[in-house]
Amino acid sequence: MLTSVTTDTPNAPERQVLPELATTTARVVDDPQEWQAFSTPVAAPVATADPQAGEWSSYISVEGMHCAACALNVESALLGVPGVSRAEVDAASKRARVQWHAGRVKPSAWFDAVRRAGYDAIPAHDPVGRLQRQSETRLALWQWAVAGFCMMQVMMYAAPEYVYGPGEIPADSLRLLHWAGWVLSLPVLVFSCTPYWKSAWHDLKARRVGMDLPVALGMAIAFVVSSLATFAPGGWWGDTVYFDSFTMFVFFLLTGRWLTLRLRDRTAGALDEVLNRLPEAVQRQTEPGVWEQVSARQLRVDDVIRVNPGERFVADGQLLDVDTWVEEALLTGESHPQERRVGDQVLAGSHNLSQQVMVRITQLGADTRHAQIVGLMHDAALDKPRVGQLADRWAKPFLWGVLVAALAAFAYGAAQGWPHAVMAAVSVLIVTCPCALSLATPSALIAAAGRMAREGVLVRKVQALEALSQVDTVVFDKTGTLTTGLSGVERVWQPHLPSTGLAQPQPEAAGLEVTTRHAWAALAAASNHPVARAVASWVATSEQPLSHGVTSIREVPGEGLEGEWESPTGLQRLRLGSLRFCEAWPGVHVPESARSATVHVVTEGQWWMSLLLAEQLRPDAQATLDALQAMGLTVHLMSGDRPEQVQRMAQQCGLDEGRAHGHCTPQDKLDRLRQLQAQGHRLLMVGDGFNDMPVLAGADVSMAFAQAVPLAQAHADVVALGGRLMVVAHLIGLARQTLSVVRGSLMWALAYNFLAIPVAVLGGLPPALAGLGMAASSLWVVLRALPLNKTPSQTHSV
Amino acid sequence: MLIPLSVGLVLLILLGLWWAIHSGQFESLDSEAERILKDD
Repeated sequence: MLTSVTTDTPNAPERQVLPELATTTARVVDDPQEWQAFSTPVAAPVATADPQAGEWSSYISVEGMHCAACALNVESALLGVPGVSRAEVDAASKRARVQWHAGRVKPSAWFDAVRRAGYDAIPAHDPVGRLQRQSETRLALWQWAVAGFCMMQVMMYAAPEYVYGPGEIPADSLRLLHWAGWVLSLPVLVFSCTPYWKSAWHDLKARRVGMDLPVALGMAIAFVVSSLATFAPGGWWGDTVYFDSFTMFVFFLLTGRWLTLRLRDRTAGALDEVLNRLPEAVQRQTEPGVWEQVSARQLRVDDVIRVNPGERFVADGQLLDVDTWVEEALLTGESHPQERRVGDQVLAGSHNLSQQVMVRITQLGADTRHAQIVGLMHDAALDKPRVGQLADRWAKPFLWGVLVAALAAFAYGAAQGWPHAVMAAVSVLIVTCPCALSLATPSALIAAAGRMAREGVLVRKVQALEALSQVDTVVFDKTGTLTTGLSGVERVWQPHLPSTGLAQPQPEAAGLEVTTRHAWAALAAASNHPVARAVASWVATSEQPLSHGVTSIREVPGEGLEGEWESPTGLQRLRLGSLRFCEAWPGVHVPESARSATVHVVTEGQWWMSLLLAEQLRPDAQATLDALQAMGLTVHLMSGDRPEQVQRMAQQCGLDEGRAHGHCTPQDKLDRLRQLQAQGHRLLMVGDGFNDMPVLAGADVSMAFAQAVPLAQAHADVVALGGRLMVVAHLIGLARQTLSVVRGSLMWALAYNFLAIPVAVLGGLPPALAGLGMAASSLWVVLRALPLNKTPSQTHSV
Repeated sequence: MLIPLSVGLVLLILLGLWWAIHSGQFESLDSEAERILKDD
């Protein structure tokens, strides 16, 4: 389960956090074994030194900073902790580097210092990914700088030839100038052109024509011809050198590439932040019946762990106690649930679907989740929506056409002499820019995804942006989506109390003994359903051992939980759930006054207690619904909760009564969805996936909030961290904007090519201008995408 | 005479650039500028 997430208003209730998790955070970051994940030791290598004794350099992600002054605040907060020797905070990337001494301070101390200053700190989990991106960026910067400096100097050497007529410069001076141009074009050839050589080489090996092949060909021809003209000026290749054109168009190309890389970097950085989490906490058995919460990293082979429905299996293992259904879509692509029986293997990264199970670990791997999600993000980033795929399909025949046009230019220009012909061919090769066709879509999508990532929204499938732009209906789940979840018990009904029930009671006042509370907590903790979580946190005591003689726990989706309890008075079967579920036992009757409660607890033959859970609409729910309706979208609300409650919430946020449906089973929701789709509507489903997985999967686009079960997060097209519902409206608006930018860019790219190629074929385009044209068109397409990345600036009040 | 000299100079500059980039001077172009705003 995740811990704190920023909320909008000071009075907004926070999500329920089970008591043990607050200390889990501290336990986890103070564990020396965890340090490797986000820190590197400073002086001696870890093998020789005791990890407790040395200096460590840690990277953390800081949330809540909105300007440079915040960065300074965080820095001084960190430096104020004794034992911290250095702290550098970068406001742009929201990262901080902290150097501290393990013998003098524990990480939780300086994590707390950051929190006390009003910000949130999370270990940055990707030292490897970050280093790799850093070295890639540095290389790209180097290549660009080399091209830039050499271009400028080569221009100086070429200038005299532009100014003076032929024959006016003494021959040996001319040769010197050419030689100098050649020398300084070498670094460009060797360093700056390598991305193109590599890409062209791959294309040749794969026997296909890629985007960079014509460019590489053009570069090679220009350089070779110019070199020949420098050292052997008498041949058929003429004696004009084109080093200035060569370096210039390399520079322009790299400028376009550099900007694209920076954009990609910023987006990847934002996405990485969003993926940074505390390491997963897992329940591990220390002795039979006794469980402790540990970080997933501390698990060893042969440990026995407990996994709830909706949670992920963190390691390969063998099922010990009950059969269950699992889902391995992230691993095998198989989205149908698979049954696993006692004794079967379950795989790391798959999700548990139906029952709480015990698993003996057989194999541990590297942190598969982070790698998995990052892998998914990379794939998702490379996936292109239909529009982009169309462009790719055209790119191939287009490129063959380019080669043909180059030959035609050569043939046409041969009439004016070989040098002209060669240069005309080079111009054609360089001026055509299919990369604009293939750059238009990714640059817009990445810009949009990066902007959403800054708002805490992870766009997992980039195709989702295209679908989002066409959405005309939004369906919300209620609990945890439109509302902030269940935040406490408002009313309690019991057998021997007045029919109005007790208002705002504590468990002790309701007459629950400690053993009973432990039993209920154990039962409720076996599910991630919001109602179960709320009950669990209400009855939780300060010391909550994690097992209380409640066994054979079974969850019925949409209904409730059932278990067997070894109570002091004997073995009792308990049920916790909806009215229908609880009254299914003969003899159980819930009195009239309690029938509208949210959840009921019964034993066989007797009603025990009913609880009404308080629920609050998200602060921005009304504003979001208004915004969505203003954008022309229809909004529906579907929930499994009681209709009266659903109607009440709908009224509170201005939703039409006819569009709010209560008592929806997962099948009902799916049916309504299909009905709407059959009418031609395109749907965005926003929910927490609990019991809704088929509905999330069935919608055109699905969105899960961070409190959703890991399974829903893994499958939803979009995951929203943070509690702001407005991101739904922002996302749809941005998606529409993105698609229009993509279409516009494709039109520009097409128009440019249709105009430029004929001119180049007819020999009217010098190579330098060709380079400028190509780079300009790539740049233009990327620049059109940049506004998508900007957060709208706030208007200043006078 | 000056021309070979300028070639040598550019190569030296490139070397200097290499060192600057790889010692991380271009990592964050804003944080150093903001440092003058600190009180101490």
